[in-house]
Amino acid sequence: MNKTVNINLANTLFHIDDDAYNKLRRYLESIRRSFAGTKGSDEIIADIEARIAELFLEKMENERQVITNKEVDQVIEVMGQPEDYMVDEDIFEDEPKKTHTENTSKAKKLYRDIEHKYIGGVCAGLEYYLGIDALWIRLMFILLAVFTSGFGLVAYILLWILVPEAATTSQKLDMRGEPVNISNIERKVKEGFDDVAEKVKSVDYDKVGDKVKSSSKTFFDTIGDIILFLFKVFGKFIGILLIIIGASTLVGLFFALFTVGMFDAINVPGVDFYEIVNTSGAPVWVVSLLLFFAVGIPFFFLLYLGLKILVNNLKSIGNIAKFTLLGLWLISIGLLIVFGIRQAAEFSYTGSVNDKMELAMEVPSDTLMIKMKDLGIDYNWDEVNFNGMTFGYDENDKRVLMSDEIDIKIRKSDNDSISINVRKDADGSSTLAARDRARNIEYGYSIDGNEILLDKYLTTDTSNKARNQEVTITIYVPSSKTVYFDDSTNRYIGRGIKNDQGYYRSGLIDHYWLMGKNGELNCLDCPDSDRYEDEDNENGKIIINKNGIDINIKDNQDSFEMKINEDGIKVKANEKSNN
Amino acid sequence: MNIENTKAQMRKGVLEYCILSILKDDDKYASEILAALKDAKMLVVEGTIYPLLTRLKNAGLLNYRWEESTSGPPRKYYALTETGQLFLNELNGTWDELRNAVNLVTNTK
Repeated sequence: MNKTVNINLANTLFHIDDDAYNKLRRYLESIRRSFAGTKGSDEIIADIEARIAELFLEKMENERQVITNKEVDQVIEVMGQPEDYMVDEDIFEDEPKKTHTENTSKAKKLYRDIEHKYIGGVCAGLEYYLGIDALWIRLMFILLAVFTSGFGLVAYILLWILVPEAATTSQKLDMRGEPVNISNIERKVKEGFDDVAEKVKSVDYDKVGDKVKSSSKTFFDTIGDIILFLFKVFGKFIGILLIIIGASTLVGLFFALFTVGMFDAINVPGVDFYEIVNTSGAPVWVVSLLLFFAVGIPFFFLLYLGLKILVNNLKSIGNIAKFTLLGLWLISIGLLIVFGIRQAAEFSYTGSVNDKMELAMEVPSDTLMIKMKDLGIDYNWDEVNFNGMTFGYDENDKRVLMSDEIDIKIRKSDNDSISINVRKDADGSSTLAARDRARNIEYGYSIDGNEILLDKYLTTDTSNKARNQEVTITIYVPSSKTVYFDDSTNRYIGRGIKNDQGYYRSGLIDHYWLMGKNGELNCLDCPDSDRYEDEDNENGKIIINKNGIDINIKDNQDSFEMKINEDGIKVKANEKSNN
Repeated sequence: MNIENTKAQMRKGVLEYCILSILKDDDKYASEILAALKDAKMLVVEGTIYPLLTRLKNAGLLNYRWEESTSGPPRKYYALTETGQLFLNELNGTWDELRNAVNLVTNTK
């Protein structure tokens, strides 16, 4: 069952179904619009209506028959869509131009469009002014606000204050760039009226009743509206925040990915180094891409959520896209974990090889000097390094991996000769692999008279990769021999060298040490307060310990003595007598 | 470049000439003109013709008179004016030239 409407089409009465009526009305409306401004448009419309009436009449079998959607569809098919009515301007140039060409030539004015506003209608107004979709303008403002530290925000607020809102019909037409003439104003008014009429028609009477009630607002309704408005503003704010976070992270990631890609292409050492460290077999761009997805996809969804909050009728990206992204993310995470485990496995075992040598050194009386010697290797430590390893170039321009992980240790020799042990360590996925790698470490030292010259760096072929390669030098010194650590050994002296001073690592340098019977080094030239007590020092002593303070200073005939202990304070001063 | 657009443009270009030709001997109303054009497959949709008719009328090539119809609304009968007749003669000449030219170009390969 359906309502019917009576219409007068070219002075003929038709019974028409309500749905069909609306369809026909819309059709004629759109044709009217496409002819708006054309000379004689009313006549054309009248002719078209007459023809439609004729077509309906042909289809009517009797006078009581009702026109339905079917007939209207058939008529529209015969008559064609509104765009078919348009006469091509290129061919008929003598014709007066249609309104829409006038639109572009007429200067538009910038107004705020409060009908399509989000905040102040600035962007919606700019949409007409610039001919760009408001969504992009809004995004641009947000990006400006983010990247120029608030400029976009200031610009927006200024525009909000300075640009008037399009309140009247003529202002709205100005904003859209339509010429302000009677027919256009009439059209606008009619459009507005039709919309209202449509709404009134389409709602039940109950709902209309509600509407009438709601239009006479109570005080509490107003309060409710304000709260709702605040919630909306808060929601939009969160949306903007999400967009900012999502967008800036994505932009950053894009730049990072691009940069890594560039490095890969031009072979910057850092990326080579990645290859040295990396064992998973995945090229650098694969890992960067995986990282990009793993981090970027969640932020993309954040951005999307923000847009969704901000733009009500945002198009969905579709389930396929969503699940593809989710899948991609899971795969990226999974692969990264696999690579990570494989990478970690490479460091799970440590292997060592030892190389002990007895040194035929003639140092019966002389002190054994320990020095470090630089190799003729070009390197730049600051560039890139991984666990103290970096690249260097030897004298043959061959690229090698090098590390300064050298530890020096001193132990007491079991016999009367000096010997040296070089222990090489490296990590690997198994002890065997680690030992193999350790064996490939190249390290050397030389003896020059009473000097042991140790290499400053260990080197290894780049194919061995960086796996915590280290060298530990242990020098076995017979007791009652003296050892001297040169300045150059700074930073290379290892932990746990026993000495009577309790010095630690590089504290040992620049001193002479005597190897004791118990394997402890005894300092021969350290400023030691204990030693001062034993010796008869003419300058005196100042001792501060658990027993108290004991000061005893002598200078020729003058002397000063002070003792503070559990017995009390005793002060004695002698002055040179003036004879 | 859309083939449908090009086709439509070609058709529209000769449509005015065709309408004038149809009215050469007899006065006709819109539906008769449409029928003639549709028979010759010159038209796909009817809507195109109404702006053209109005334009030709406004240019003084056509005029019309109302005639009561036995079935349905009164009909608009279009007729060629004197200017329209001259215009048509001119177009006939142009069309012959054009047809020859197009034949010549498309046939001699």
